[in-house]
Amino acid sequence: MIDIRGLQKEYTDEETPTVALQSVTFSIAKGEFVSIMGPSGSGKSTLLQILSFLDRPTGGTYTFQGKSIDDMTDQELAHVRNKDMGFVFQSFNLLSRLSVYDNVEIPLLYSDILAGERTGLVEKAVRAVGLEDKLYTEAGKLSGGQKQRVAIARALVTDPNVIFADEPTGNLDSKSGLQIMEILEALHEKGRTVILVTHETQTAEFADRIIRVKDGMIESDEPIQNKRIHNGALK
Amino acid sequence: MLFRDAFKTSTRSLAHGKMRSVLTMLGIVIGIASVIILMSIGQSAQDLILNQVQGIGSNLIFVVPGGSGGGKFSAPASSQGIIITSLVQRDVDAFIREPSITAAVPEVRGQAQVVYDNNNINVGYEGTEAEFFTVRNMPVGKGQTFTKGDVESGAHVAVIGPVLATKLFGAHLDPIGKTIRLKDISFRVVGVLAKGGTGAFGVDQDNIVIIPLTVAQRQMLGTTYFGDVIIEADPDYDINFVKSRVTFVLRQNHAITDPSKDDFTIRTQEDALAILGNITSILTLFLAAIASISLIVGGIGIMNIMLVSVTERTREIGLRKAVGATDRDILQQFLIESVLLTSVGGVVGIVLGAAVVGLIYFVLSNFFSIGWVFAFPVSAVLLGLGVSTIAGLVFGIYPARKAGKKNPIDALRYE
Repeated sequence: MIDIRGLQKEYTDEETPTVALQSVTFSIAKGEFVSIMGPSGSGKSTLLQILSFLDRPTGGTYTFQGKSIDDMTDQELAHVRNKDMGFVFQSFNLLSRLSVYDNVEIPLLYSDILAGERTGLVEKAVRAVGLEDKLYTEAGKLSGGQKQRVAIARALVTDPNVIFADEPTGNLDSKSGLQIMEILEALHEKGRTVILVTHETQTAEFADRIIRVKDGMIESDEPIQNKRIHNGALK
Repeated sequence: MLFRDAFKTSTRSLAHGKMRSVLTMLGIVIGIASVIILMSIGQSAQDLILNQVQGIGSNLIFVVPGGSGGGKFSAPASSQGIIITSLVQRDVDAFIREPSITAAVPEVRGQAQVVYDNNNINVGYEGTEAEFFTVRNMPVGKGQTFTKGDVESGAHVAVIGPVLATKLFGAHLDPIGKTIRLKDISFRVVGVLAKGGTGAFGVDQDNIVIIPLTVAQRQMLGTTYFGDVIIEADPDYDINFVKSRVTFVLRQNHAITDPSKDDFTIRTQEDALAILGNITSILTLFLAAIASISLIVGGIGIMNIMLVSVTERTREIGLRKAVGATDRDILQQFLIESVLLTSVGGVVGIVLGAAVVGLIYFVLSNFFSIGWVFAFPVSAVLLGLGVSTIAGLVFGIYPARKAGKKNPIDALRYE
């Protein structure tokens, strides 16, 4: 599903180039649950941004579902982000003045899905995260854990193949964090590809495989022996 | 993103900041209302003035002593306060002999105190022939006009304006038959003019005393020349032909061979309309130009608030782009917001403008007795709507483009 070869990312700031990623090579198969780990400034967020089409690499190749990013226009990238990718951010990024329904509906506004079909899709996504009783509650009035569940519902609503989660438990207490990871785990079990960026080992261990990044390079890429399961216990 | 969805998203955003939206709109509301009000006032003033000039009659020619330096629109010397004695009875007699002229009515004017009982008022008076009332279409509302015989015999009779009648005699006393004193000379009031308002060339028809020409010339002014002569052309003749005849007669009488040395000025209703039309059009344009300044200020206000809004909603823009919005989708959303603000502001401005114009009409008609014409030109409404929508596009495009161009990563990181 995802194949990157010799990926590079350089930022040029006032004529001084900064290398954020270099010679990054790996593949992620459909239905995998992968954690990307690394210390602050290691390049893991840059990697996620490129993987999720929010940024383009400056070198190497990136093929998503058989198509190279180099062959796609910005508009096509936006279309793929909308149709095939779901996003969960650390700070939720909900529009607090809108209802849960309106927040979850946002990706559908930019899709080809007809207005008449949207209500059903929004309700289904909200039900999947167990917030059906909060459908018309203002997002700003929800707890942190509930907000992140709304964000997951928003990521699910277009039925994407991949879900990118950037530090999804970073702003949550351990109980809420565990609930969020259980939801992501359940999505993975239903066949979705989940790519998680985290610096917490416990969170990363929900995945099947951990890619460790250091100084813009892959430090290690190995499967997890003791994978955590939905109650947070080790398998 | 479908336009319908973008529209819904934009209205929702505006509705969430109601107070801000209303305050932002206020600049456009005031701007459009000002343009509407001033254009409407300009149009009303133009209509009022032109109606009055047209009311004089299209077959009248005014002969004023003194040249106007050849310029079509320049003022004749006599109207600049210079006493010119060139227009005399011999000229009037010559006019009457012309087959294309049906009447020639000389006028003299002065200013004096008019007294009745304890009421003492300074007014303008006019000495003229009996035909004046029919030629100038100034009928009496009460009593009668003085006659040709009165003028020939130098009778001390007067026709007064209706407002002056009320000032002198009050609302209940009948002025007919009463004696007033004008410059210490007694006159018997024989008629009161019908209400006419301020006529063309600024003469207040309602506040005037009209007396026989002979009395005014001999006893009041001690002159033999005229202030002006009103000529009524035979409708069977072309007005320009009559004008050329009048010119010919005056040049002959005054022994003028060089047209640049004409000692008279001839004005027709057409000339007056052209001059006044020009003046009032310029005035309307000038007023609209002043009002449009407030519209520009309002537009800059919109741009300012939209820029603030784009900055405040940076994370929202980042999120929308992350989940699939294109630059165009974001630009569209912000542009709809600014056009919505200005066009709703425009509609409110038009309604407010119409209300103020209506109020002005009501006050001027009811309290100042001015025959104000209610003019609310459709062009002003269309202009208001068009300008407000364009203002939304013009002042909204920069913030909207700025929003559309935002990098989603930077936007999502924005604190």
